[in-house]
Amino acid sequence: MSEQINEYIKNEYAAGFVTDVESETLPPGLNEDVVRFISAKKGEPEWLLEWRLKAFRAWSEMTEPTWAHVKYPKINFQDVSYYSAPKSMDSKPKSLDEVDPELLKTYEKLGIPLHEQAILAGVAVDVVFDSVSVATTFKTKLAEAGVIFMPISEAVHKHPELVQKYMGSVVPQKDNFYAALNSAVFSDGSFVYIPKGVRCPMELSTYFRINEAKTGQFERTLIIADEGSHVSYLEGCTAPMRDENQLHAAVVELVALDNAQIKYSTVQNWYPGDAEGKGGIYNFVTKRAVAHTNAKVSWTQVETGSAVTWKYPSCVLKGDNSVGEFYSVALTNNYQQADTGTKMIHIGKNTTSTIISKGISAGKSQNAYRGLVRMNPSAAGARNYTQCDSLLIGDQCAAHTFPYIESKHPSAVVEHEATTSKVSDEQLFLCQQRGIDMEKAVSMIVNGFCKEVFKELPMEFAVEAGKLLEVSLEGSVG
Amino acid sequence: MLSIKNLQARVEEKDIIKGLNLDIKPGEVHAIMGPNGAGKSTLGNVLSGREGYEVTGGEVLFDGKNLLEMSTEERAREGLFLAFQYPVEIPGVSNMEFLKASVDAVREHRGLPAYDSVTFLKLAREKCKAVNLDQNFLKRGVNEGFSGGEKKRNEIMQMMLLEPKICILDETDSGLDIDALQVVAEGVNSQRSPERSFIVVTHYQRLLDYIVPDYVHVLANGRIVKSGGKELALELEEKGYSWIEQEGK
Amino acid sequence: MSLAFNEQAVASLKNLPAAPWLENIRASGAQVFSVTPWPNRKTENWKYTSLFALDQQAYHGAAPQVNLADDQLFAIAGLDAQRLVFVNGHFNAALSDKIDGLVCVPFSQANAEQQALIAQKLNGTFKQEQHLFGALNNAALQEGVLIHLTKNQVCKKPVQIVHVQSADAGFSSYARHVIVLEQHSEATVLEHFVSAAKIAENIHNQLTEVFVGEGAKLNHYRLHLESGSQSHFGGVHVNLAANAVFNSFQLALGGKIKRIDVVVNHQGSGAHSEINGVYLPKEKQHIDFHTCIEHAVPHCTSNEVFRGIIADQAKAVFNGRIHIHKHAQKTAAELSNKNLLLSNQAEINTKPELEIYADDVRCAHGATIAQLDEKARFYLQSRGISRQEAEVMLSFGFINELIDGIELEPVAQLLRPILAKQFISDERLARHLI
Repeated sequence: MSEQINEYIKNEYAAGFVTDVESETLPPGLNEDVVRFISAKKGEPEWLLEWRLKAFRAWSEMTEPTWAHVKYPKINFQDVSYYSAPKSMDSKPKSLDEVDPELLKTYEKLGIPLHEQAILAGVAVDVVFDSVSVATTFKTKLAEAGVIFMPISEAVHKHPELVQKYMGSVVPQKDNFYAALNSAVFSDGSFVYIPKGVRCPMELSTYFRINEAKTGQFERTLIIADEGSHVSYLEGCTAPMRDENQLHAAVVELVALDNAQIKYSTVQNWYPGDAEGKGGIYNFVTKRAVAHTNAKVSWTQVETGSAVTWKYPSCVLKGDNSVGEFYSVALTNNYQQADTGTKMIHIGKNTTSTIISKGISAGKSQNAYRGLVRMNPSAAGARNYTQCDSLLIGDQCAAHTFPYIESKHPSAVVEHEATTSKVSDEQLFLCQQRGIDMEKAVSMIVNGFCKEVFKELPMEFAVEAGKLLEVSLEGSVG
Repeated sequence: MLSIKNLQARVEEKDIIKGLNLDIKPGEVHAIMGPNGAGKSTLGNVLSGREGYEVTGGEVLFDGKNLLEMSTEERAREGLFLAFQYPVEIPGVSNMEFLKASVDAVREHRGLPAYDSVTFLKLAREKCKAVNLDQNFLKRGVNEGFSGGEKKRNEIMQMMLLEPKICILDETDSGLDIDALQVVAEGVNSQRSPERSFIVVTHYQRLLDYIVPDYVHVLANGRIVKSGGKELALELEEKGYSWIEQEGK
Repeated sequence: MSLAFNEQAVASLKNLPAAPWLENIRASGAQVFSVTPWPNRKTENWKYTSLFALDQQAYHGAAPQVNLADDQLFAIAGLDAQRLVFVNGHFNAALSDKIDGLVCVPFSQANAEQQALIAQKLNGTFKQEQHLFGALNNAALQEGVLIHLTKNQVCKKPVQIVHVQSADAGFSSYARHVIVLEQHSEATVLEHFVSAAKIAENIHNQLTEVFVGEGAKLNHYRLHLESGSQSHFGGVHVNLAANAVFNSFQLALGGKIKRIDVVVNHQGSGAHSEINGVYLPKEKQHIDFHTCIEHAVPHCTSNEVFRGIIADQAKAVFNGRIHIHKHAQKTAAELSNKNLLLSNQAEINTKPELEIYADDVRCAHGATIAQLDEKARFYLQSRGISRQEAEVMLSFGFINELIDGIELEPVAQLLRPILAKQFISDERLARHLI
């Protein structure tokens, strides 16, 4: 039956087309001049250039982490281009009407129409194409609520005090190799500020797209939820099919001040490489949140893309009674490799965290959960519950669980459970005997397996995620 | 013996007992009946001093002493016994070790010498027999792997060993078939004496066929809304609780 | 690399006389040890255990020959066993029994045939390149015990191998045991580590290699009851052939640094292992258990349960790895690790790991760090037992579950009072235990 399953899994990557636009792309290579060029291109203030240079110098001294359970040829960081932007964006279009129609078409093809009337109701979108933000919708409506939602390159000019105060406060420049690289060369990304007590009137969303060959994408997102505010944010990602691997090293920082709530959802569908493991995105991302008193941060991720994923959205539960959540579905197929999970650092009293991780491995892929739960000596009464389940489809793939649990407080309670299962022949037979075809049966079983996570996604995207899973699994059944 | 005046208590910030009065004299058996959610189980937990059950008003005197000021174990040593509705399983702690620790603590409090191990073992085996429990239960973990009936019999055996002044039976009949119910009831009846009182908390009249009460009280919405003799239980059996709840309002 | 400890260790090996038939292995061990990087915080296997303390102390005096007056330190009342005793790593014939009914000899007394068997089996269960203290053990190879059961031989009487540490000056001692069970044989082996009450800080490095043949069964105990000043680096490495069974009970009180590796290689279909363990560090002690269950072939089962109580400023590490190789279909492997922290300064680091390369398997692990059950405590208190005593009873119950499972009742009886004493400051609170 395994062969039959495998027959079904032939990955068809729908987002794999290339947009033909003229771009200004830096030649490959990285040195201080490149950092200065990027900064100058964006007309950045002196402090930010210094900030970048400091990160660059730190990065030059650092070595790549090798502890993850992934294998890939050594990356030559001098072989990557660190800046690329469609030329048409040079003139800084004031409105969507001025944006290059080729670009708009790209997003239409991806199912993300940027004209507000056509947009998913109630969702504001910022789209980042290679190194720049091309459009942000619903700006006015958000402004009425006092919500700031704009490209970070714009926020540097319009809200320097917020950017300067919070950027790097959660993920310091020297945090790790890829965070340092990002801090040196980040191009664009989204900036969100929700004022005190405001409940953001709509879902915010950023869509990332890598188009140009041989380029890396290094976006940076900063979300600040001021006291008592609420925001739900979603990001999505795609890239064309190309034979060579491309690098994506993003940084996301979330600040949830007292009593604030941030819900951050990701549907990651970067190009995963072909069935032989050729090409695909290297997704090396640092995401972290700080939760202050009574604040709540919730990460939900559906990870189906990328050739190699290295990603651990984390919560620093600094304030008393703060809450951290991590819901994850990570699906790997063919030769994909994922090493993903979370860190919950409990500092405040009575902090609680929940981790639900569902890993699905198919084809010849490697799928690892790696997590850290740390109860600091100050974390009296803290609680963690972790559940990691792995589902294996076929006998060529692998599933791993590496949970690190550290406790230094006697009243902190940690519970961790992990299980492994397969899509069993009996389950499939039952479904087939009841007239359900194999592909549908596998997708039903996998969807059931992921249900706990999908219910955490905003409604519109839960459906999307289910469909995405189905597509990613195509040909994995046997 | 036990005098409850205007008792008020809350659990998780919700008021459950809202002014309860009850006076129990030595040797009396009081049945407390009532619909689900009336606060029946809360009463047992409050009287034995469980954490999380906050007394917000009223007083309880036990043989003239302020019960509410005592810790859980002090109340037990003074002679208040709660037979649990769902006795907890404690793997790794043997019944024997548990029973001896408990009896020693209670006897010490009463100024009695501790039993030596041999005498105690003999005594424990005797009580096992009285409630029809296999002696092997003494070696196993407290309530570990016991059936519902065995757990309840274990509760009665502890009552026999500890010789309390007042016993609160918290829905002791729940989950028991008729045979097990008879064994438990016989055990309780054997312990009735002019000095010992009982509070029998139950939803059904059935248990009261076997443990015949002197008084029956109906608890609804955190208060005793009606009291009477044993015939009240039969009336409730026939008519249900709703008519009384109506009266109570 | 090259810190004080490790330089001195290499230098001091020259003082250990080598038997000619072990020279090759010693030379290769010394070579590997000298080139293996010294662990630091970034060495995954040593992430939570620092070897820094080893450099602060001299451990390189020759292990002295000491005679003990009697067997008080290690006698197990009621246990009918055959016994071999080593004091400071030296075989002590006076305290040992004359072994009857099976091959069970110290290396120093092995005949040519036995020497050949030892040499053939050494390093058959692990790779010294991946095992720093295994390489050191090879480099210092000199003494140990060979136990050999022939086909179908069943040895009912347990074999007790005792290691006593006793001296006024710090030293390192080494030993290696080789246990070979041929097809369908069965034995019980108890490794028992003790030390005199107040002695200098010593290190003992003890590796045991076990080969359980087809359909054979080993019941194994490893009891680390040395005093808190002692350090230990060692472990048990086991190869299981088809349908072989390995049952093991591991217990460790805390030491200055104790690092114990338990590795079970399921190499034959139908093999089964059952490992129960308890660790109880207190004061400033440190214990690090690394277990690794390797499933290389189909249809094997393993079950592992470890519990720890960590008191005072002590620190415990538990790393439990289950590795299912590519063709090991139909494997069932389970691991449970539960911990209790008793103080604000105690620390536990636990890492249950699954690495799975086959789909048709049943694998699960669970780890908890918890407080005592509040419901159970209330139940005990409602029966008149004081809160303090209830807590003691429940803590003891937490590990007593595993002690109750011990097949050799005299061993359980030996352990209960020792364990009760471990985490109870007021003796009166322990009066109802045991």
